[in-house]
Amino acid sequence: MKNTKLTPANLVIMAGAVIAFVGSFLAFEKFSPVGYRAKSWNAWSTHFFIIATLPALIALAMGVMAAVESFAQGTTLPSRVLGFSLNQVYFVLGFQATIMMAAWAVVDYLGFRNGVGLYLMLFGAIACLVGAIMRVAQGAPAR
Amino acid sequence: MASGAAMLIFSFLDFAGKQSSWQRPWFPIATLMPLYGVVMAVQIALARFAGVKMPARVAGFSWEQIHLALGLMAGLMAVGWLVTDDYSRNFGLWIEVIGAFALAVGACMLQRERNTGALGG
Repeated sequence: MKNTKLTPANLVIMAGAVIAFVGSFLAFEKFSPVGYRAKSWNAWSTHFFIIATLPALIALAMGVMAAVESFAQGTTLPSRVLGFSLNQVYFVLGFQATIMMAAWAVVDYLGFRNGVGLYLMLFGAIACLVGAIMRVAQGAPAR
Repeated sequence: MASGAAMLIFSFLDFAGKQSSWQRPWFPIATLMPLYGVVMAVQIALARFAGVKMPARVAGFSWEQIHLALGLMAGLMAVGWLVTDDYSRNFGLWIEVIGAFALAVGACMLQRERNTGALGG
């Protein structure tokens, strides 16, 4: 751990990213009509790729950024991206992932039920947003 | 503003299949794009035409940054809807996708117009 810049906020972001990304490979929506075999689709399935995969990819991007910041010796992320500070970039990405997953959780496909993967992705996205807010609260450099 | 208004109006047309983005199964995931457009359009309309005094920053973001973030995220979702292959795309979807790209372009133009320096201008 020495010489790393692993902060609690970055740890939360990385954990959230892993949870969201793993969740994207589990059942996103399930269909189980009475008398028939149940079927499920993950976020990478034809029916959902890529509009349902986007939150997982956004969370993954946040996790990679946090990992680079924490562990990559001698590598620094750009201080500003399109006029946004790094903390703002984290917040925007976390907000977008969370709002998309919240929307997916509310979507009502006739006869379909939300799968565990969807809930994991929602949880992971929320964790990423919380991590982004923690970065601001902890006074992480607003580079 | 024009994009936001057009997106709101056309969001009531068929998005995919026979349903609009306000109907099952597309609500609310497909409704996010027009909602982003409406937020951007309403802010500009209130500030420019109604003379409403807005706070300079919201949660640490300037209004130009909020517009850029919403525009880019709407554009990202538009790409997502274009690539996703599961349904018959209808007129409402195409208008929303074009509108979302227009929001992104409009937000970029706003950066240049107000010399924020975000795009190197």
